[in-house]
Amino acid sequence: MAPFVINQEILTSGAFSPFYLAVGDFQATAIYSDPDIQHELVKDLRSNTDIPVFDHQDGLYMRLTVESNIAFFHKWFGCREPLSEILVRFELQHDAKKPLHKCSESEIRRVCFAKYYMSGVPSAVFCEPIHGADIKTIRTFVRMLQTMKEQPTAVLILVSNLEHALLVGDVVYKLQPSGIKPVETEEDAATPEPESAAAPAFAKLFKISAKVDEKMILFDPPEIDYIESQDGKAMIVINNEKYAMDATMMETEKKLEAYGFYRCHRSYIVNLQKVREIITWSKNAYSLRIDNKIQSTIPLSRTKIQDIQEKFNLE
Amino acid sequence: MSIRRISAIFEKDIKDLMKNAELLVMLTAPILLTLLLNRSTNGKITIPILYMVIGGIFTLVASGTIMTMMAEEKEKKTLRGLIQSPALLLDIIIGKSLVTLIGTLITLTVSLLIMGIGPLMNFRAALGLIMLFLFFLLIGISMGLFTNSLASVSVYLILLTFLFGFTPLISTLGSLDKGSIAVKIIDKFPIVQAMAIHKTSSWQPCGIMAIWVTGAAIITYVCFRKAMTDN
Repeated sequence: MAPFVINQEILTSGAFSPFYLAVGDFQATAIYSDPDIQHELVKDLRSNTDIPVFDHQDGLYMRLTVESNIAFFHKWFGCREPLSEILVRFELQHDAKKPLHKCSESEIRRVCFAKYYMSGVPSAVFCEPIHGADIKTIRTFVRMLQTMKEQPTAVLILVSNLEHALLVGDVVYKLQPSGIKPVETEEDAATPEPESAAAPAFAKLFKISAKVDEKMILFDPPEIDYIESQDGKAMIVINNEKYAMDATMMETEKKLEAYGFYRCHRSYIVNLQKVREIITWSKNAYSLRIDNKIQSTIPLSRTKIQDIQEKFNLE
Repeated sequence: MSIRRISAIFEKDIKDLMKNAELLVMLTAPILLTLLLNRSTNGKITIPILYMVIGGIFTLVASGTIMTMMAEEKEKKTLRGLIQSPALLLDIIIGKSLVTLIGTLITLTVSLLIMGIGPLMNFRAALGLIMLFLFFLLIGISMGLFTNSLASVSVYLILLTFLFGFTPLISTLGSLDKGSIAVKIIDKFPIVQAMAIHKTSSWQPCGIMAIWVTGAAIITYVCFRKAMTDN
């Protein structure tokens, strides 16, 4: 049940500068990095530790039904929770009799989650657990994580997407070749940003500017999907495209407030006009779904849920 | 070793077997072969024909089933996260051996009932059959530990069938001298020894077969150790 530690002895690949990280119980640690670095990290963890890395690449018995698969793993690992509860926990009860080769990607992903869950390991690493999964699957993962934390299991999650990292991780780090550094999560949102509030807020500003190479691009606020914070700088996000701004989050928030933008998370400012859906993952995990081509989801702090409901006049 | 895990793998593999067309064909092919032989010889089954069928059943069903099952688990990476210690691999092998035993028993019983079980109803012949089963099962396990893909299983299986399953055919193939070394070696092969049980009343054939089984067990052990250090 002891939390595990990642240190120099484990990180031998040299793709990034080694770091020390203790992964504790009762909280999920997420590391956000680009896929190449993540790949190197997984390789190090695989070769230098015994901690199981769950990357849902395991084969399952495609000829057998969902129930037979789960029943096998249930018996193999000697899981104490009744089989029917496992099926319900992973929302597989309606597809129990369906052979796996007829199941969708997301259903197969949930069978994989069930296998990992039943293996009852004291510490686990998940690699891109919710990448490309549907809402139901993400929700079961968030719920599974909750239960695992209470057991307690030390959980480390590796993702290449900041939204996912903030959704699943209680403690989030960003890993770059230069090293690791914490990403601010909502817990420390009370402390004000260490910056000069001297930036003047223009009352009448119709364009927002970003730099691409040597060019200066001007955006109309309504076309922006949301603003994401990256290394303390604000990034304009429109569909898949990101444009770096030369301003901090706080400055941007002030500028855009008048255009119906809202700071829904420490690292995000959302264009309220573009919010399509408020997704509830669990009691205290929420996301906003944006009405753009790729249907991005961005995190919504639990402290902000009340506020945003008021803004939309929801009860 | 854990009864719970063995029964888990046993139940899973029985269910899987029922849905695996490839294995079902392997299980039923010998029965069809028996029916054909029975018709073409008008029910006069001689000892060599009887043992050719038995050899076919043992290679295809005993060795083939367990080899296919193990190779498939490896090829599809279904055992990832399941085996952390040698004991767990042993559980899997035992569970699969039990499935193989049941499959072989069914096929063998049906085939023998068609051909007439008479010649085998004595202690030494039955002992010979058991040792033949063990030999082919162990060879199947070691090859299953050794291979990584289903494609290579069929290659090994053809070799195995030709060499050990249909051994009596080899001597009739070429114009081999009666006294040549090749014939002497072939005469010592398990199936030929099992046939020899019916010719003499001595225990020598049983002894030679026991040596084959021991040899196969040693090979299996070596493969097992190698499979564990590879992981």
